[in-house]
Amino acid sequence: MEKTITKDILKNELYAGQRPAVELLYTRYSGMLFSYILQFVPGRAEASTLLVDIFSRLTPQLQTAFDSSLSVYCWLQVEARKIILEYIGKEERRGAGRTNKAYYSSLLEDTSPEHQWVFRELFIYGRKKEELAAQSGKDLAYISGILRECLLVIRKNLE
Amino acid sequence: MNIELYLQSGIVESYALGLATSLEVAEFEQLLPHYPELREVLSDFEYHLELFAIDNEVPPPPGTKERIEARLREIPAPPVIRRDQERSYRRQKRKGEYIPVEVSTPYIRVHKHWRTFFIAVFILSKILLGLAIYYYLEYRHTQKHVQQLEEQLGKSGEIKN
Repeated sequence: MEKTITKDILKNELYAGQRPAVELLYTRYSGMLFSYILQFVPGRAEASTLLVDIFSRLTPQLQTAFDSSLSVYCWLQVEARKIILEYIGKEERRGAGRTNKAYYSSLLEDTSPEHQWVFRELFIYGRKKEELAAQSGKDLAYISGILRECLLVIRKNLE
Repeated sequence: MNIELYLQSGIVESYALGLATSLEVAEFEQLLPHYPELREVLSDFEYHLELFAIDNEVPPPPGTKERIEARLREIPAPPVIRRDQERSYRRQKRKGEYIPVEVSTPYIRVHKHWRTFFIAVFILSKILLGLAIYYYLEYRHTQKHVQQLEEQLGKSGEIKN
């Protein structure tokens, strides 16, 4: 996969300074991250502001990516999601009639509405399993089981 | 630990998507160096996530990059990793200030500059080998020539006598 930036490549860019490292990450991953953000927020302008926020907040932390067990791109996705959820939480706009881009949710089209709901609430809106259990009147193990099935379906559909 | 069962719990996917709790993350990261299967499944899942991201890529609106650059100019730059810092890390590692980690892979990693060095050494060795063969053949040829001359001199000496 020619687009992949390995930790060694990123480290070499960081030797040269922050700017070349950001340049490289932006060139390779901005489109992928922008699309990823659009599953959380529907507007392109809003997603663009979030992308700016993500790059400017994660750039000073790039060295922590080397300590992570995740690949550079997955590390970026995970950290980006934290920033997005923080933003969504602040904006108090959790799922209020928004039509977001189907991204990972598109991999769950064959599952039940309950599965899609659990994944959306946990992944897109960052809610806790305990909250969902309380809201749906089901126990925590049931919600965990649904999530586990969703994750395995995602894995299967990605392959 | 039954690693197959652990893999079927969706932990790898949960970890890579950022859905794992801090406890799950800690457990996963502790197990990762001891179970190569975990690393393999994680790398495979990450690879497919990245392929999916490439397929779904949407270019950001024009001007986004400039906004990032402008924002980064306002933030003081973090200290850049320097090669001497890496050397100091290695020194500290030798002193035992870091915990050595056992790696099961049979491969070693070397700096990419060694590649140029090894190519140069390889080419040089081929040139030297070529020169050695050339000079050996030249030597053999000269030896033969000298032998012939000596024989001729011997014959002409016999005739004179």
